[in-house]
Amino acid sequence: MANETKFSEQESLQLIAEMIKKAKGSYHDTGIGSLLWGTVVSVASLMSYLQREYDFTLAIDIWWLVFAAIVPQVYIAIKEKNNVKAKQYDDDLVNAVWLVFGISIFGLSCYQNIVPVQTERLIAEEGWTMMKHFSDGRPDEVIRPFTPSLYSVYILIYAFPTMVTGMVKKFNPMKIGAIITYGLFIFSLFTESKYDMLLGSASALVCWFIPGIILRKKYLAQTSPNV
Amino acid sequence: MFKELDPILHSQLRLAIMSLLISVKEAEFTFIREKTNATAGNLSVQVQKLKDAGYIEVIKQFKDNYPQTTCKVTPAGLKAFEDYVKALQQYLKV
Repeated sequence: MANETKFSEQESLQLIAEMIKKAKGSYHDTGIGSLLWGTVVSVASLMSYLQREYDFTLAIDIWWLVFAAIVPQVYIAIKEKNNVKAKQYDDDLVNAVWLVFGISIFGLSCYQNIVPVQTERLIAEEGWTMMKHFSDGRPDEVIRPFTPSLYSVYILIYAFPTMVTGMVKKFNPMKIGAIITYGLFIFSLFTESKYDMLLGSASALVCWFIPGIILRKKYLAQTSPNV
Repeated sequence: MFKELDPILHSQLRLAIMSLLISVKEAEFTFIREKTNATAGNLSVQVQKLKDAGYIEVIKQFKDNYPQTTCKVTPAGLKAFEDYVKALQQYLKV
């Protein structure tokens, strides 16, 4: 491109439009992060459902798989950051939303694990017990405190960063995934908690896995040397 | 009365650089070179002119033991670009 060539006002405007289009078109998510999280959350949720439906246990808690996925995610994030040659204005916003999402999920899992134990302790200190009383004459059973149907809240939270990312990046598959997930959240309010796991698995597929496949295809098409 | 077009911006390559940088938060030198198809030497000269005018900020650092040059538009550059586009619109009556 020549630097001092005389050019008309019309050409100036065309050049500005062309360069803005080139800059906007340069953004491409690799899709690996979406595929990773879509896979692990979907598999963990589905396995949790199967464990409860068919009453079996695994050697380890399947949700450790989700925590383990943080390691490759950090590696992917560093590698992608090093490959990015232009930073978009909305990158910081989207990154902040996903960071807050991660913190919220961690906080919720702490709540899920700590609150029942603490409640049980407080109840024991006060000297009373929660009982399940059957109206058909079966003997009463002691109930350990638990957080009922909490996975519905997880499903609700899955939709939040997905919707924000879809709106900010104008990426319809994520917006559609989030809308479907909001629907699954409402549906989960009326279902037994083991089916919430199944709905959570579907949420992970529509929020991250399917958009991840689309992003990956786009990325490979944009970076292909033959295109 | 038509406003005179900013001579710093009314140059093909410098305008291309500014248009790119307006669209992103910051960009590496290699990104700008790739998008403008300019030679490294020519691009360096024009980047320096924009920097001297106070329109862009140039950050030189090392990344993985390689020199890395990153450019971003300054508030003065943004204002100049907006004025330039307004002046163009006046000329073209758009």
